[in-house]
Amino acid sequence: MSHNEAQHERQHHVDMVKGDVAATVLVPSDPERVEVFAGLMDKADKIARKREYLTYTGEKDGVAISCTSSGIGPSPTAIGTEELIRLGAQNLIRLGTCVTLDPSIKPGEMIIPLGAMRDERATQEFISVDYPAIANFMVVRALIDACEKLKITYHLGIIRTHDAFYAVSPFDQQAFKATAQKWMDLDVIAMDNETATLLVISSMQGVHAGAVLLAGFPVPDNDDAEFLKHEKNLVMVGIEAAKNLAKMSLE
Amino acid sequence: MNKQPYTRLSPGDIGETVFIPGDVSRAKVIAEHFDDYKVVAQNQQFNTFTGTYKGIKVSTTSTGVGGAAAAITIEELINVGARNIIRIGTGGMMQTWLPRPGILVITGAVCGDGTSQEYYPTGYPAIADFNIVEGMIQSAKELGIVVNPGLEWSHDSFYAGSTLSKLNILEIEKPWIDAGVLIASQEASTVFQVTRKRKVRGGTILCSEGCHQYPDLDVPPELMVKAISDATKVSLETAVKLHHMDHVN
Repeated sequence: MSHNEAQHERQHHVDMVKGDVAATVLVPSDPERVEVFAGLMDKADKIARKREYLTYTGEKDGVAISCTSSGIGPSPTAIGTEELIRLGAQNLIRLGTCVTLDPSIKPGEMIIPLGAMRDERATQEFISVDYPAIANFMVVRALIDACEKLKITYHLGIIRTHDAFYAVSPFDQQAFKATAQKWMDLDVIAMDNETATLLVISSMQGVHAGAVLLAGFPVPDNDDAEFLKHEKNLVMVGIEAAKNLAKMSLE
Repeated sequence: MNKQPYTRLSPGDIGETVFIPGDVSRAKVIAEHFDDYKVVAQNQQFNTFTGTYKGIKVSTTSTGVGGAAAAITIEELINVGARNIIRIGTGGMMQTWLPRPGILVITGAVCGDGTSQEYYPTGYPAIADFNIVEGMIQSAKELGIVVNPGLEWSHDSFYAGSTLSKLNILEIEKPWIDAGVLIASQEASTVFQVTRKRKVRGGTILCSEGCHQYPDLDVPPELMVKAISDATKVSLETAVKLHHMDHVN
């Protein structure tokens, strides 16, 4: 079977075939956030669920948008990104949480990474670490306009993506303080485990990718009403950005 | 303050936006696009002209070739008041689908050089200032000039990685070509990392010369002159937008 034929096959992990996802796919880590997405759309159909990959495709204000969870970390994000691209996705936007380093950024505000430090290894199997993990500028613009429309404060900057959350986690306050200072001295405003992976794999294949990260909630707590309120904002920013990208592609 | 050691510049000598070509003779070519200009300093490879464009004070300083010299220039320009650094340069085209010559708005760079990695560690992304990228794309649209946005492979050794290399250049460039990098040049990563470190804006616009994959598709010199002129016009209009962003709104 040729590589081309393989692309029409059901993708191993996300369990979908071509036509199952829209041009823009929103990519949270948490499958539960996909349900939040479904609840905010005019209509949404559950397309597939396998392992940590849950997908809904739906419509908002006449624009088709999909949402597929990636699971936590570079390994499943690399798989999900690759398979979504093989299914024809043209714009990928990560909707994530993060460890916020910059103390001027308040919980509930949004971080729009311009790029990410590649302190993860999944993408180093694809290309040298000299290659930048950079957000596509049109996706960044779509996210900025979405935050401005929804009147949500946002911050542009560089983040760091790494593999091991518990190696130095924010729960280990003393060790974390020292490591946080090291990254802040390098103008890093937040850390996560997925963004660089999504950006590198997408940009290598000419697919437009970006991310928006909710500040101040390093571990999502789906019993915390405060978190749920801000998480809804995060997903709304993603949906508005997808609509903006659909508008830009017509211009 | 004494004059800066290399560029021999003092505060007041330059505008907030400075265009930095690599080629020593190109600084004057760029200055000729201003409404008026005069020489303000000359030392080694560093030629500086300052003038006005649409009422805004602008400057151009040649850096010489490579990240090491570009970083010296940028640091000294910032020391004497530069806030927007825009490199106007040339490079070797890496994608056959690009127009010839292509005018490329560089959004980010592969850090295949040493200088940029003295500012930020390996794995740290080299990214152009967002306002400059958007300003260039908008300006090009207004001027009717076709530009392509994308990545530069920034590297140190021209005679290791160019069409004139005795090494297997296509093998060296293959990973970058396959990953969609548009052009090979030497300074964008340095421009982006030094300006990020010093908290000013940095951007790069490049005109692509010969294509490494098809050396017979070289670009006639007169077309390169036009491309550099167009890239300069785009950069000047971008400077006007940055000025309005900082001082008018």
